[in-house]
Amino acid sequence: MRRRTFLARLGAAGALGGVGTAVLARQPLPAAAPAGPRGGDGHQGGHEGMGTVGRVDHARNGFDPHRILEDFDAGTVSRDRQGRVVHEYEMATFPQDIEVAPGVVYPAWTYEGRVPGPTLRVTEGDRVRVRLVNGSAHPHTLHFHGFHPAGMDGVPGAGEVEPGGSFTYDFVAEPFGTHLYHCHSLPLREHLARGLYGAFIVDPPGGRPEAHEMVMVMNAFDTDFDGENEVYAANTVAFAYDVDPVPLRAGELQRLHVVNVTEHDPVNSIHLHATFFRLYRTGTSLEPHELTDVVTMGQAERHMLEFTYREPGRYLFHAHQTEFAELGWTGAFEVR
Amino acid sequence: MHGGDVQRQVEQRDGEQPIERRPSAGWSGRFARPARTARSARTARTARSARFGRPGRLACASSLALAAAPLLALVLVVAVLLAVDPVRGLTGTVPVESLAVERVVLEPGRIELQVRNDGRTDVTLAQVQVNGAYWQHTTDEARLGRLAGTRVVVDYPWEPGVPLRIALVTGTGVVIDHEIDNPGETLRPSGDTARRLAVLGLLIAPVPIAIGVAWLPALRRSRAAWFDAAIAFTVGLLAFLVVDSAAEGLDAAGDAPGVLDGVGLFAVGALGSVAVLAAAGDRGRGTGRMPAHGVSAVGLAVLVAVGIGLHNFGEGLAVGAAVSTGEVALGTALVVAFTLHNATEGLAIAGPLGGAASAAPSPGSGTARRSRARVAGALAGLVAVSGLPVVAGLWLGALALPAGWAALAFGVAAGAVAQVAWAVARWLHARGAALTPLNAGAFVAAVVAMYLTGVLAG
Repeated sequence: MRRRTFLARLGAAGALGGVGTAVLARQPLPAAAPAGPRGGDGHQGGHEGMGTVGRVDHARNGFDPHRILEDFDAGTVSRDRQGRVVHEYEMATFPQDIEVAPGVVYPAWTYEGRVPGPTLRVTEGDRVRVRLVNGSAHPHTLHFHGFHPAGMDGVPGAGEVEPGGSFTYDFVAEPFGTHLYHCHSLPLREHLARGLYGAFIVDPPGGRPEAHEMVMVMNAFDTDFDGENEVYAANTVAFAYDVDPVPLRAGELQRLHVVNVTEHDPVNSIHLHATFFRLYRTGTSLEPHELTDVVTMGQAERHMLEFTYREPGRYLFHAHQTEFAELGWTGAFEVR
Repeated sequence: MHGGDVQRQVEQRDGEQPIERRPSAGWSGRFARPARTARSARTARTARSARFGRPGRLACASSLALAAAPLLALVLVVAVLLAVDPVRGLTGTVPVESLAVERVVLEPGRIELQVRNDGRTDVTLAQVQVNGAYWQHTTDEARLGRLAGTRVVVDYPWEPGVPLRIALVTGTGVVIDHEIDNPGETLRPSGDTARRLAVLGLLIAPVPIAIGVAWLPALRRSRAAWFDAAIAFTVGLLAFLVVDSAAEGLDAAGDAPGVLDGVGLFAVGALGSVAVLAAAGDRGRGTGRMPAHGVSAVGLAVLVAVGIGLHNFGEGLAVGAAVSTGEVALGTALVVAFTLHNATEGLAIAGPLGGAASAAPSPGSGTARRSRARVAGALAGLVAVSGLPVVAGLWLGALALPAGWAALAFGVAAGAVAQVAWAVARWLHARGAALTPLNAGAFVAAVVAMYLTGVLAG
């Protein structure tokens, strides 16, 4: 007889009472669980213990999600003979270990040593020239979402860069909108999951109303390589905007570009607390598509959100896949 | 073995004159061993020293040197292996990080884990997930060298009976999962808990064992054939306990941290206890004080009690651990099952003593009253030896010791009970008992009784 086995069966059958229960009556639970001491030193989110312990060393990573949020790169701007504005970029791809949650290091593949890669920003009709230098052991590409000739597609056979090589992608940016670029070498899933992606924002020729602009690339990391993500985030670092909320001004128009590159999960989403946003799908229209407070996106879907906070206070934003939210994709705006 | 040396089987009963018995054909030579004289041993030693060195202190020193030389060579080889690292270049993989959760203590709103690095490389415990969410934790030491342990505390509003999935995330992103299927508040070690467990232990072990032993007078009045059957019953019960101990021990071995090698611990316990008990049984052999086939009836009963006691210690460990972590709830049916189970064990202890009626003190050797008191005292001792370990096991188990200890304890029990079962079987054979249908039936009856007392309650 295996007593533990039948003990368990007994317990499941609810065969309680009598001598045993009298001998070993379970003490009743106290009315309220005592609030224990806070773990770690870094987490200030105030979600009753939910979150990570400690702080990510952004300096060692070489990039800070708070900088990425507002870091738009126009490249080296000049004009060609036809008078067209030209944005020239030099991008290197190389592997780099990055801390995706406090103390958790992920062997990422990067553009320019950061995940997501630089946010490229041009205006519709501008010429874009990006020279990709491959400093890694695998072939890589830059595949832009947007109009371009087949030879500039950045796929195996068209602009794929072997280790040590380089290639210059040259095209005219259109249509305007919130777009993205990513590596398209095979295996595709691996190259994306490792961190080879970034936002590509094309402004309408006439511009948009004045606003405070931000970019969030919703991503995730499968740190143990079992096909499921352990860490979710906006701009790579779990809870980065929860530990240090994003400062905003009340009454100011906010324009948020959101790109979903989450691998291993079919959808991701963003939900803003205590406000509604005007949703510009793919950012390709000057008129909003709807007014809502949550938008769900498949991989490579991206949208432009405009909103305004009326009153000061701390307002959460997070994936409404609560699983993702509690695995890192939660942040807050500190509105003053 | 010199079977031809032994012409007759001699049986001795507890301090009485040897009783001569007719040898039964077939197995007498197999089970009897000749007495080796002291002289022959001395001769052998002399022969060895003559071969390996001169006698005296010089011989001692030179044989020490001879023994040390291979040891030195081994140390040298290990040093070379460490320096050269011949494996480097043969394997491109990095060692996998591993953490073992040795112990979980649950209090309202709080989860405490005792975690040990049981892998081949250092591990940093970076984050903790509870039910798929990062949860803040405190730890004594986040960076753990090989075999280093630490306490991890998470304040989490867990609910009794609702499964908990805990994931420990290491610095390299490796995830170590630990599931608590049926969480309940952990019993705190206290005088009160100890008292409750002692009462429980006494109720489920010594009391029913004593009841089982109370079969003894009936056994003594039975015919010799029935006495043999009682011994066969004992063998059957012990055989069942061997299987049970092995199953429990290997189960615990599976739960033990990998670096401890639970199966190895089980083997150490099992083989060690076999050797110790066998050596104890052989003590005094050849001195003429013991019968050639091993032990007296009382000695056998003591062996059976010790074996059952060791098994019950392991059972106590398992039940104590299960109760303390709230994995199970104790109920009347369970207590009844234990009672029947252990009463059967009492009967097994009484078995070998049943035949002692024939060796009862003769009228001249003391008053019957004094003899009866002595017997009662001896029986109480046997009950204590076999039953009280349950209480000790419950106490230790309630401290939720790492699973490796349970593997070791059940290993000791399995080995001990196997050795005892073998000794009792040998004794039965030496008595001249044959494998009659009655004896075989008694053997099977014991196995079935143990099985049924286990299952009926469930």
